[in-house]
Amino acid sequence: MLLTTPGRLRQRGIVGMNMRNVVYIGQNNKRKFYPRVDDKLQTKVLAEKAGIAVPRLIGVARLQSHTKKLKEFLAQENAFVIKPAKGSGGKGILVITDRDGENYLKPSGSIVTDQGIRRHVSDILSGLFSLGGKPDVAMIEELVNFSSVFDGFSFEGVPDVRVIVYKGYPVMAMTRLSTKESDGKANLHQGAVGVGIDISKGHALNAVQHGKPLEVHPDTGRNLKELKVPDWPIFLELAAKAYEMTELGYLGADIVLDKEKGPLILELNARPGLAIQVANNHGLVTRVDKVEEDLKKFNRTPTERVAFSQQYFAV
Amino acid sequence: MRNKFELTILITVLMVLGIGITLYKINVLGFSFSPDKTETVWTVESRINFIADGGPIKLSMNLPDNSNGLIVTESLRQATGYKLSREVSEDGAKRIVWSREDAPKGRQHIYYRANIFRRKSAQKSMKNKAPASLPKISQPFTGTYLEAAEELIKKAQNTEQGKIKNGINLLNELNSPEQNQSAALLLEMPREAGGRLGLASDLLTQAKIHNRIVKGLVLSRDNRNKKLSSYIEIFDGKKWQLINPKTAEVENPDAFLLWQQNNESLLEIEGGSKAKVRFSSLATKILANQAAIKGGQHKHSWLVDFSIYSLPLSSQNAFKILLLIPFGALIVVILRNLVGIQTSGTFMPILIALSFLQTTLVVGLILFLTVVCVGLVLRALLSHLNLLLVPRISAILVFVITIYLAISVIGFKMGSEVGLNVTFFPMIIISWSIERMCVLWEEEGGKDVLIQGSGSLFAASVIYILMKNNFIGNMTYAFPELLLVLLAIILMIGTYSGYRLSELRRFEPMGREEEKN
Repeated sequence: MLLTTPGRLRQRGIVGMNMRNVVYIGQNNKRKFYPRVDDKLQTKVLAEKAGIAVPRLIGVARLQSHTKKLKEFLAQENAFVIKPAKGSGGKGILVITDRDGENYLKPSGSIVTDQGIRRHVSDILSGLFSLGGKPDVAMIEELVNFSSVFDGFSFEGVPDVRVIVYKGYPVMAMTRLSTKESDGKANLHQGAVGVGIDISKGHALNAVQHGKPLEVHPDTGRNLKELKVPDWPIFLELAAKAYEMTELGYLGADIVLDKEKGPLILELNARPGLAIQVANNHGLVTRVDKVEEDLKKFNRTPTERVAFSQQYFAV
Repeated sequence: MRNKFELTILITVLMVLGIGITLYKINVLGFSFSPDKTETVWTVESRINFIADGGPIKLSMNLPDNSNGLIVTESLRQATGYKLSREVSEDGAKRIVWSREDAPKGRQHIYYRANIFRRKSAQKSMKNKAPASLPKISQPFTGTYLEAAEELIKKAQNTEQGKIKNGINLLNELNSPEQNQSAALLLEMPREAGGRLGLASDLLTQAKIHNRIVKGLVLSRDNRNKKLSSYIEIFDGKKWQLINPKTAEVENPDAFLLWQQNNESLLEIEGGSKAKVRFSSLATKILANQAAIKGGQHKHSWLVDFSIYSLPLSSQNAFKILLLIPFGALIVVILRNLVGIQTSGTFMPILIALSFLQTTLVVGLILFLTVVCVGLVLRALLSHLNLLLVPRISAILVFVITIYLAISVIGFKMGSEVGLNVTFFPMIIISWSIERMCVLWEEEGGKDVLIQGSGSLFAASVIYILMKNNFIGNMTYAFPELLLVLLAIILMIGTYSGYRLSELRRFEPMGREEEKN
């Protein structure tokens, strides 16, 4: 079969692109709130204010003149990440894992000089990495010390967990595992593997690559069914709290696991994609309807919402 | 909910307005959806012949009126040395007047030519108003003639039949004197003026039937140097019916050009003699929409007056293309939101299609692919230099011009002129395309460039083919108000939340699972 029918998709509650844009995003996400997630600096400030765990912000470079003070400013920091606040597609992110005297070291071991850091920040400020070339600011944040529980599930890169939050209720989750084909990027349509995560327990459901089901990771050979996310309720609660913080009704929260600090929100997305349905082998509509039903009766706190989701969205 | 309501109202208003104006233009103004539909128009030439006395001369001719579904526009008044003016008499009859101070003595010719268009809807002009009273009988019947007339009228009268039928019966009686003594007697009645036609009219008036004598040309016939033919019109209570007095049959008024009525004089001359006028008519076919535009302009219909047809021809051609752009936008909307084809940039496909219009499709595709591929390679080299956005695009534009120049020169040397067709406008489009593709390549990878690039080219080709289509070109040009309908459709698709065609493929495994369960 090359094509399926609209009736069958409707029966399974699959959300299509048009429905996502017109109904989920159009009716729930107010345009004026977009900058809260599109500008990562704003996200971070808001999150820290709301007590949501995020990688610590070390500093912000807003002006070209700030680049001269970078060396002094970073004197105490050994591992950090420099990224553009409005960058897209992971462009312009410089990861520094250690120091070598005056110089800095990238994860690959190659050396970045102080001059190199300054040029990178200058590039970010002049808008080299932002969409449309608009001037941007450079954020310096603490490097996440990734937990080793996902070792072997991902080829290079570290997996993050994407949770779809509908009006504050976590409705669906998946983790994206990079592969050799995706070049270490956790981008599904570049060949990364998507693994649906059960909302109630945090264990793996289905795995798909290029929209087709698979059992083991194509590069590491690890059985993907064995994947289980630790501290799962904390993941869900973080995601649920993001709703109060952004006021966006249809939201994607990308969460990573730090060895010491536990789950941290890395990024929020006002237009999360639909591939998560394939990874879960489940449509969003039925769950969203369930949430709407509950919203008519109750006004729940984030913790209650998580409990609700864990109870009703178990597979 | 309120949004939905407003949108529905808006869509309905747009639809009704667009379709309404279109229907009006088709049914009343005579526009046509079909670009090749033709309409008959007639050129009527009147040749006036007279002998001038020498010295001042004044010649006037009654003009045909817009009536009976025909529109008259003047095209030529050829009379060298004569001054031209117009008169309108009290009862609304128009006359054209030629005058000259010192006409040479002898035979003279004056030509007058008019174009006649057929009007779609019968005009409800004052000519269809009920006449106030019966016309005066030109020569009253007396004595035996009165008896004969009364007998004839009695014979033809039938209260159950309409006035038309009665009138026709009467004419028939009059036309067959061999079977009817009264008719024979009446025809022998000495008449001062009007002859047999006047008699017929008098008889109808005697029978209390509204009638009048009209003169004109039957355009459907072959007319060459003809006089005007005389007809009788009978008012049937609603409108005047044209009747041929010789056959006593109702004629189709569609092709009858009314030139003279109410005994207006056809030709008047001062300072000359032996004025004669002869008419010739010629039927030609022109495009229906052209005829509709000309007719509309003549009628001062605001739909035609305040439209692109009132613009100079050169700008009309530009607008012909401009009007196709919304159509392209509709195609993009359909392809992206209903079919689910990915294109790079929302309106890039339209712009690419426009540049294809200047090169033709195959040549355009080849040129585009070549330039874009070379441009992408050069752009990749540039990207190592870490340039800012604007200088980067500018550099690419310079590259594109150079590549393009090279293609044109090499092509021309090899005997092909296809490269010469591209102008400035496509240049900008191509450089922008290259830039977009490059950004895409960096952000999403080469595969996406391929998908979106081919999607764009596919959409551009579809739009190009439709833009080239004669029918669609005619439709957008002849009915610009269809833009409102187009807008309504786009708004409707804007609220469509169903699946895209591509999603039936994308989510196909999930549909399959259901089958197993």
